Amino acid sequence: MTQASVVLALVVVTALAFDFTNGFHDTANAMATTIATKALKPKTAVALSGILNLVGAFLSVQVALTVTNAVVKIQNSNGTPKESLVSDGGSALLLIILAGLVGGIVWNLLTWLLGLPSSSSHALFGGLIGATIAGLGWAGVNWNGDGSKLDGVVGKVLLPAVLSPVIAGVVALVGTWIIHRITAGLAARHTDQGFKWGQIGSASLVSLAHGTNDAQKTMGVITLALIASGDWTDTKNIPFWVKVACALAIALGTYLGGWRIIRTLGKGLVDIAPAQGMAAQSSSAAVILASSHLGFALSTTHVATGSVLGSGLGRPGAQVRWRVAGRMITAWLITLPAAGLVGAAMWGVGHLVGGLAGALVVFAVLVAASLAVWFRSRRTPIGSHNVNDDWEPVAPPAAPADEPARVPVTAAHGGV
Amino acid sequence: MHNLGFALDGAWRVLLAGLLLGAGLPVLFALGIRSLAWADAGGVARPAGRTLGYGLFAVVILGVLLGITFIVATGFGKALSFEHIYPTIVPKH
Repeated sequence: MTQASVVLALVVVTALAFDFTNGFHDTANAMATTIATKALKPKTAVALSGILNLVGAFLSVQVALTVTNAVVKIQNSNGTPKESLVSDGGSALLLIILAGLVGGIVWNLLTWLLGLPSSSSHALFGGLIGATIAGLGWAGVNWNGDGSKLDGVVGKVLLPAVLSPVIAGVVALVGTWIIHRITAGLAARHTDQGFKWGQIGSASLVSLAHGTNDAQKTMGVITLALIASGDWTDTKNIPFWVKVACALAIALGTYLGGWRIIRTLGKGLVDIAPAQGMAAQSSSAAVILASSHLGFALSTTHVATGSVLGSGLGRPGAQVRWRVAGRMITAWLITLPAAGLVGAAMWGVGHLVGGLAGALVVFAVLVAASLAVWFRSRRTPIGSHNVNDDWEPVAPPAAPADEPARVPVTAAHGGV
Repeated sequence: MHNLGFALDGAWRVLLAGLLLGAGLPVLFALGIRSLAWADAGGVARPAGRTLGYGLFAVVILGVLLGITFIVATGFGKALSFEHIYPTIVPKH
């Protein structure tokens, strides 16, 4: 194996690791309400979501290789890497991709530790932007597009992030309010079964759409790395093993569950009744699919959170915990710069050390950071056994309401 | 700020479609539940309520099928067109 192929292998492994974090970070978007209202058992919900993500990823027959073009200028419009970045066997481009992916993963892990739903695609874009600024300067970033369409950091990241929770929130609010009007006074034996299936159906749609959309991004990034190193030349197709690996990574991640985030979204933000769960999940599914149809792609996470908030506002008497919402919104605001800082720092380290050793150091930092987050999370495990516990303990001593990680749990087992 | 214009233009379309499908379909679903409950309320059998209820569920299922079709079409690099009112699958431009 040459030095270049070792670096390439590191990039591929890191990209699959990002895909995996993307999976468990986003399980909550589809399944948090379904789990909170007990329409599905926690384990059943994550298994269903994992399978649908797998199916969705394999449905990605036509994969766009131009995923990074939305925010940075490291590719030509046909998907091939910029020639100036591959003149040295692709190592300049590979280092930017590696550093960017590490930035995205580290931010995904930190927000997971805090139980905050933040956008995985924003984390990836943030990391890539940071690494690109460090490597190519400000001009390497596609800030505003060329004016012909919605594009650039502003058009593809910032504006959608502001608008998506509002749109999804309004839809969920209207849906919840009318549904409560219609079904008021009906016996639970009439409504429970119906709302259960309504939730399962809409949550399944969100999972399937997530598999097709998000796994594609990693497939595109890995194929870009393969082209940069000269191991692949076809810009119309991607290697089959890349598709299989990405599909498995995102499905396994989803199945793992990301219980901390499920807990925040399902129990922390509002107390969800079955009718609300159905309204919130239908809103998410419709807004995600409609926005993708209209070419105004929105982050699944922002849409799902907006929907849950809206459903809380739409049910008379429901309580919205604004402190939890505030923490989430803060996390959204700093996702891009925070992942960017990590990405830039990683590029700096990798560049300073240089070559294969530089890539190895960056990878070692990633492994160390991941282990640190993992061990910290073991101190307050949240898994399928306690994901649905009351948000605010009824009996004293009361844990701080806004700190999901401090909810006392005795069981030492459990997932993520 | 051309991006703001594009974004707002996209946003109201998404909001409209979201309200129609994301709030409209669950509302029809809730009406279906209401009809079924009415159909066997008070010990009197009302077949009309049952028919109406299942009719409403059928509309909701069509909406879900539309969603699945869209996801599958996207995966194959296609898009849905509503040019003829009923959806058709067309190549993505």
